[in-house]
Amino acid sequence: MAYTPQYYPGSTSVGINRRKHMSGNLEKLRDIPEADVVAIMGHRAPGADYSSTHPPLKEMGEPDCPIRQLVTPTAGAAAGDRVRYSQWTDSMYFAPAIPYWRSYWGAINCKGCDPGTLSGRQIIEARERDIETYTKEQYDSEMTDVALCSMRGCTVHGHSLRLEENGLQFDMLARCEMGADGNVYATKDQVGIPLDRKINLGKPMTEAEAKKRTTIFRADGIPMCGKVGARKYDEAVEALHHMWELRSKWGFRPE
Amino acid sequence: MVTASDTESIQVEIIPRRYLMPATAQKLLNAIYENGGLTRIMIHGPNLPRNVPYGPGKGAPIEENRDLLIDVGGQAFELRVKVGRVRLELESEKYFSGLKAACERALPFSVEIKRGKFFRTRQTLTDYAKFGEVEDKRYLGLIDPKAKKDRLALLSEEKVAINDEER
Repeated sequence: MAYTPQYYPGSTSVGINRRKHMSGNLEKLRDIPEADVVAIMGHRAPGADYSSTHPPLKEMGEPDCPIRQLVTPTAGAAAGDRVRYSQWTDSMYFAPAIPYWRSYWGAINCKGCDPGTLSGRQIIEARERDIETYTKEQYDSEMTDVALCSMRGCTVHGHSLRLEENGLQFDMLARCEMGADGNVYATKDQVGIPLDRKINLGKPMTEAEAKKRTTIFRADGIPMCGKVGARKYDEAVEALHHMWELRSKWGFRPE
Repeated sequence: MVTASDTESIQVEIIPRRYLMPATAQKLLNAIYENGGLTRIMIHGPNLPRNVPYGPGKGAPIEENRDLLIDVGGQAFELRVKVGRVRLELESEKYFSGLKAACERALPFSVEIKRGKFFRTRQTLTDYAKFGEVEDKRYLGLIDPKAKKDRLALLSEEKVAINDEER
């Protein structure tokens, strides 16, 4: 029987969603054109050439190395692209993803990327061609709700703030706006430079749907211990206690 | 018999569940103003810069944050923050129930209303360094110690003084 990795314990909806994020087995909710994703990222104009840091690997004449023979380079690495980034801010008001789970998703599912986790934001760096693919995957999948998550290269403030009246995550630079038709539109790229057109990102999730898809344990949503009043804690807490115990003992080492 | 607590001023903090759009903020502030009994009021929330403050887009204008004019009690002023919290002092207890009703009327979502002590009574060293001796003690607690000296909007019966510094 083929081995199936066990990513995260627990039978709560949050535990299940966390497993989904880590396994990369995500539902596709929308299809934002690649040119639009490139425009929001703001590193190059859609259709422009990729800037490079070295010639394509085929032209470079690589040394005879068993590891290089084993590992197929990503498209970006093979072409010698520059390393670029995309950075996300997810609201703590039941956003589908949180920084740690974006990082787990990146580290497990994306080849040749460097995820960085911070308290209120998450950045992934990779070769330009690759990061564009990874960003589009994040945008299109259930990891992202267009109202509660947004791509912010700078001025990332918003994760722990109350939402705006229209349900959008607060953004000092007003990179997104809620249209009269109920769709969210991106009007600026991730660093706040106005785009030449508004990009339709689609409709945001309802509050109930966001709560269903979230990976955030919250006392007013799904608590980490599982069902309140149940005889037994959820497996997520038991596993956490187990890891804590082993780590404490290992770290303590009385000799 | 009038007890002391009926005639003493009270301080109130209003925290809406969401950040307010300028139109809703105007509605709320007008409802508070019409309720009467206000001694002083402060609005608080995250800053809304007029230009991108840093990063590759530094200096790019943020049109959405400009000219957010609101009209409160017949006086217009420009919002520089996203309204997320209102602190105020009422002349006496008797205005409190009207204030609660005004907030519920003006806001389409829930609001938390707290009573406590929110304005300081003594001048801090920072206040002194920036403003010298503050003669009118009502200003204490309205001045953000982290803000630049000239970022203070005062609305009074006589005049409207708003600093219009470009940031």
